[in-house]
Amino acid sequence: MPIITENITREKKTETDFQSPEVWTKVTGKAVYGNDFKLPGMLYGKILRSPHPHARIKKINLGSVEAMPGVYASLTGAELPERPYGIVFDDELPLAAELVRYIGDEVAAVAAVDNETASKAVEAINVDYEMLPAVFSPREALKPDAPQLHEKFKDNLAWERNLLRGDSDKAFREADVIVENTFTIPSVHSTYLEPTVCVAADDPYNGLIIHTAVQSPDAVRVIIAKALELPLSKVRIVGPVMGGGFGGRVYGNLKLYMIASLLAIKTGRPVKMQLTREEEFLVGRPMIAAEMHLKMGFKNDGTILAREADIVTDNGAYSAQAPWVSKTLSERNDSVYHIPNIKTRVRLAYTNKVPTGQYRAYGNQAANFATESLLDMGAVKLGIDPLKLRLKNCVKTGDTTVHGLKIKSCALAECLKAAAEEIGWYDRKKGYGYGISAAIHASGSLVFDKNFRGAAALARLELDGRISIFSGEQDYGQGAHATFTLIASRVLGISPEMITVYSRDTLSSPHSIGALGNRQTTIGGKAVQMAAKRLRELIVLTAADMLEDPVVMEKGTLRSASDRIVELPLVAYHYHSLTCGLSLIGEGRYVPEPSEYDETGYGNIAVTYSFAAHGAVVEVDKTTGAITVHKIVAAHDSGKIINQISAIGQVFGGTTQGLGMSCYEGYLFNKGEVANASLADYRIPTSLDVPDITPIFIENEDPEGPYGAKGLGEIVQIPVLGAVANAVADAAGVRVTDLPITAEKVYQALSGWECE
Amino acid sequence: MSYLKAESIGQALTLLKESAPESRLIAGGTDLFLQEFPERLIDIGSIEELKWIEEKEGFLEVGAGVTHTIAGGSDLISDKATALAEACLQVGSPQVRNIGTLGGNVMNAAPAADAAVALVALGAVAVLMDKDKNIRRVNVDQLYAGYNCSAVDCSSELLLKFMIESCKSGEGSAFVRFAARRALALPMVNAAVRVKIKNGIISEIYLVAAPVKPAPTRLLKTEELLLGKSACEETWLKAEKSAAGEAEVRGSLLRCSADYRKHLVGILVSRAIQVAALRAIGGKEEG
Ligand SMILES: Cc1cc2nc3c(=O)[nH]c(=O)nc-3n(C[C@H](O)[C@H](O)[C@H](O)COP(=O)(O)OP(=O)(O)OC[C@H]3O[C@@H](n4cnc5c(N)ncnc54)[C@H](O)[C@@H]3O)c2cc1C
Repeated sequence: MPIITENITREKKTETDFQSPEVWTKVTGKAVYGNDFKLPGMLYGKILRSPHPHARIKKINLGSVEAMPGVYASLTGAELPERPYGIVFDDELPLAAELVRYIGDEVAAVAAVDNETASKAVEAINVDYEMLPAVFSPREALKPDAPQLHEKFKDNLAWERNLLRGDSDKAFREADVIVENTFTIPSVHSTYLEPTVCVAADDPYNGLIIHTAVQSPDAVRVIIAKALELPLSKVRIVGPVMGGGFGGRVYGNLKLYMIASLLAIKTGRPVKMQLTREEEFLVGRPMIAAEMHLKMGFKNDGTILAREADIVTDNGAYSAQAPWVSKTLSERNDSVYHIPNIKTRVRLAYTNKVPTGQYRAYGNQAANFATESLLDMGAVKLGIDPLKLRLKNCVKTGDTTVHGLKIKSCALAECLKAAAEEIGWYDRKKGYGYGISAAIHASGSLVFDKNFRGAAALARLELDGRISIFSGEQDYGQGAHATFTLIASRVLGISPEMITVYSRDTLSSPHSIGALGNRQTTIGGKAVQMAAKRLRELIVLTAADMLEDPVVMEKGTLRSASDRIVELPLVAYHYHSLTCGLSLIGEGRYVPEPSEYDETGYGNIAVTYSFAAHGAVVEVDKTTGAITVHKIVAAHDSGKIINQISAIGQVFGGTTQGLGMSCYEGYLFNKGEVANASLADYRIPTSLDVPDITPIFIENEDPEGPYGAKGLGEIVQIPVLGAVANAVADAAGVRVTDLPITAEKVYQALSGWECE
Repeated sequence: MSYLKAESIGQALTLLKESAPESRLIAGGTDLFLQEFPERLIDIGSIEELKWIEEKEGFLEVGAGVTHTIAGGSDLISDKATALAEACLQVGSPQVRNIGTLGGNVMNAAPAADAAVALVALGAVAVLMDKDKNIRRVNVDQLYAGYNCSAVDCSSELLLKFMIESCKSGEGSAFVRFAARRALALPMVNAAVRVKIKNGIISEIYLVAAPVKPAPTRLLKTEELLLGKSACEETWLKAEKSAAGEAEVRGSLLRCSADYRKHLVGILVSRAIQVAALRAIGGKEEG
C-alpha cells in the first residue's frame, strides 16, 4: 500500500514515528480489555428488552425469578425513582417505568452467577404490554396526528433550529444557476470490535467503581452520580483498554453502566455486563439518520451565492447527543466554502426506533455527502470543472466564515490540488470515474461546556528520573498516549521511552470533557505541553537550588554555570527529601479564549480547524451497477504532524470507515425492528473491499495547536463520502442520492427504475 | 452434550448406529455452529478417507470432507471441474474455507451454497452410505427437501463423496457470483455452467442459477433454447434474456429486490456461459 507521496511530503519523518509500548500488549494478547476483567465474587447481569416498538407496561410478572438457583437479584423500573437523565435532554430512565418506546428498550434486569443463568432468568420474566401505535419515519412523526413518544416534546419534535445568514431569498432571485436535491443517509454504527462491557463494584469504602473503557469517563461519572444520587467523589471510572470507540463510545452505554451499578448496589457484589453484538446494534447509539433537502445558487462564473437546507434527522426513541450531531450536520459544512447567504431549518424527530448518538465526525460526513454531491451537480450545470469550482470558493487562512468560525490556518486549496493531482484529475483514464470533495472540521471544540473549554494535565518527575503524565484525555487506539508522549518528550528534551501517560482512572487524572470534538491533540496535547513546560521550569529551579548555581537543562541532564552535571533522579530525590515525600509536579492548563456567540449562534466554536480534500477513482459496471473503488487519496491539513505513523493509521482507518458509509453500511428496519443486527448482515467493508489509500499531509504550522498540530481523527472520514459519490456519478453518468451507494441503486438509476 | 471423534468411515457409521436419533455429524462445523446443538456430535473432520480427490475411469471423485481451500487449490479439480474450484475459492473467507467442507455445503441445504451450485451444474452424483453400510447414489440436486432442509437424514446417513464426470476436450465449466462485498457475503445470485461445444455449436449444457428454488436447480428452458445454437454474442444475449425470464426469484430487505435479482440472474448466466464456452474451445481468457 502506498504510504506517502514523496514529492508532496518531501521528507520522510521517521524520527516522529512513535508507538506507545501499549501497542505491543495489544498485538501479543496481553492487554486487558473489558471482557478480560474479573473480580472475585462477580455476578453477571442481563437485560430484558422490549419486543415492541411502542407499548405501555401493564404489569411485570417476575414470578419466581429471584428464587431460581444462581439468581441473586432482579430489577425493574418500578423500584427506581422516576428521575430522568440524559446528555442533552433528560428523556431517559435506567429502566422503563411505564412506557417502552423502541424494540430493545430496557425493561428489567437480573444478576446471576453466570451469563447463561442470567439469560434464562430474564427470559422467565413475563411482561404484560398494551400496544400503542408507533411511528418510524421522522417526517411522519413530525405530523400533528402522529403517535406521540414523549409528553414533554410536542409533535415528537426533539429539537429545532432555524438559521439565517444574509438574505438567501434575494440571493436565489439573483442566482444564474440553481441546483437542488434531496439526500438521505441511514443510521450507521461505529462497529468497534469490542461490544460495550462494564464491571460495576460498590462498597462503603471505595464507593461505586465502574470498570469500563469509555471515551469521556469524567462526563459519564457526572451523569451517573446525578442520576443515581450518589456523591460525585464516590463514583469512579477505571478503564481497561478499549477495543475501539470511533466517537460511538463518547458516553459508552449509560444504561448498561447504570443497570450494572444498581445491581451491584443491590447485591453487594461486583456485576459484569456485556452487550452481545446483536444488542450493540439494537441499543448501541448509532449515528442519526438524516434526510437533507438542499438548494444552492451560483453566479455564472461559479461564485456560490446561497444555500438553503431543510433537514430532518431521526432521533430514535431517546436523544443522547443527537441534537448536537444535528447541529453540526446542519451547519459545519457551510464553512468549507464562502457561502454568504444561508437559510437552514433542521428538525430532530423522535421515532420508535433505535436511539441514536454519534459516530466519528458528528454528522459532518452526511453533510459532506449532500453538499459535495450538489456542488458537482452545480458544476455540471455551470459547465465548470468541479475542482476549479471548489478552488474558486474555498476558505483560506485569515477568513471568518459565514457562521463566525475564525480560520487561523488553512491549506484547503493545497489539499484540493494535491488530491486532484494524485488521482490524475487532469490525466483521466477512460472508463474510470473521478470525484473530489472537501471538508472542514473543528479541531478542539469549545462549545460542549462554555465554562470548561480547555484541558489540564500533570507531569510528574519520578524518583528514577522517568516522567509520568496524567491526563483525562483518553487513548482508545487512536494514539493519544503516543502523541502526548512525543509532546512531553519535545518539551523536556528526553527520550519518549522515559515517559508514560496515564489517563484511565478518574481518581488520578485531571477532569476532562473527554475524547470528542477532536479535542485530544489540540487541547489535551496543549495541556500536556504546558504541564511539561512547567515541570521543566521546576526541575531547573530545583537543580539550581541544589547546586546553588544557575543551571540549564539539555537532553534530560542539568548543567550548572560552573559545569557541574546532575541527572534527573538526583533532582527528584533532592526535592523528595526537601519536602519529605512530595514529587515535582508540573501542572499544565490550557484555557482557550472564550467562544463568543450571539443569539443566532454566530461565533467561533473551536480552537482551530482542520481541513481536508479527498479524491476517489472508481469503476462502475453498467450492466450490474457494481462499483469498484480503486483509489482514495486523502490530502489533509492537520497542521504539523506530531506522530506520522499514527497519523497514517488514522487516515487508513477513517477512510475505510468513510467508504463503509459511502457504499456498504446502514441500518435496515422492518417496522421498527433492526433487520440487520449482526456483522453478517450489517456489512462493513472487508479488507478486500478497501482500495489503495494514499495519505498526503500538507504541513502548515497552526498558531494555536501544540507544535503547530491540529486534529485528524474525525475529519478523515468526512470527505470520503462526497469523493466516492462524485466519482461514482462521474463513472455511471447517473447519481445516487441515498446512502449507501450500492450496485442495485446504481443500476436502478441507470435503468430508470422507480425505487419503491 | 457428548462430542465423539470418528477416525474412520466405519467408526462413524458404528457411532451413528448406536446412537439415538438426536446425534448429528459435524465436519467443519461452520454451518452447524449457527444452529441449535444436538445432544451428541460425531466429528468426521479427521477421517482421511473422506478427503480424497482422485480421477478414476473418467470420473473425478471428491471426498465429502474436502475443504473449500483444498478443493479450490486442487489442480485436478481446476482442470477437470473448473466451476467447482472457482466456487470453493469464493466461499466466505479464508478461515471459513480452511475448515468448511463440500459435504457440509451440500448437506446444509442452503439454496445458493456456492459449491453446491457448481456441483449441480457439473452433474455431480452424491455417494451416501447408511448405518448398515448400504450405498446409494443420488444426483446432488435430489438431496434437497425444501428451503434449508436436506433430504438426507444426517443422523443416519453419511455422505462419502461426489462423482463428477471429468470435463474432456470440447467441454468447459465456469462459476460466477455477485455479492454485496468481496468476502463474507452470501451471494445475491450465483451461477454455474457446464457446456460442450462441437464445431462451434452448443451440444450439451447444464445451467444453474441460485437462489431460485430451494435446491440449486437447472434452468431447463434456457438450456433447451441454447442447445444447437452457435457459441456467439447473439446466443449469450438470448441466454441472458431467457434465464432472467425463466428464474422465479424472491427479493429480500437484506440482499436485494426481486427485480434486481432477476436481472442479475440473466447477466450472471450469460457471463458464466461465455467463460465456460471459451474454456470449451480452448480459448484464451482475459485478465
Ligand atoms: C462466516 C461464514 C461465511 C460463510 N460463507 C459462505 C459462502 O460464501 N458460501 C457458501 O456456500 N457457504 C458459506 N458459509 C456456509 C458454510 O461455511 C459452508 O456451507 C460449508 O461448506 C459447510 O461445511 P462444514 O464442513 O462446515 O459443515 P458442518 O457445519 O459441519 O455441517 C453442516 C451440515 O452438514 C452435515 N454434514 C456435514 N458433513 C456431512 C457428511 N459427510 N455426511 C452427512 N452429513 C454431513 C452436518 O450434520 C450438518 O447438518 C459460510 C459460513 C460462515 C460461518
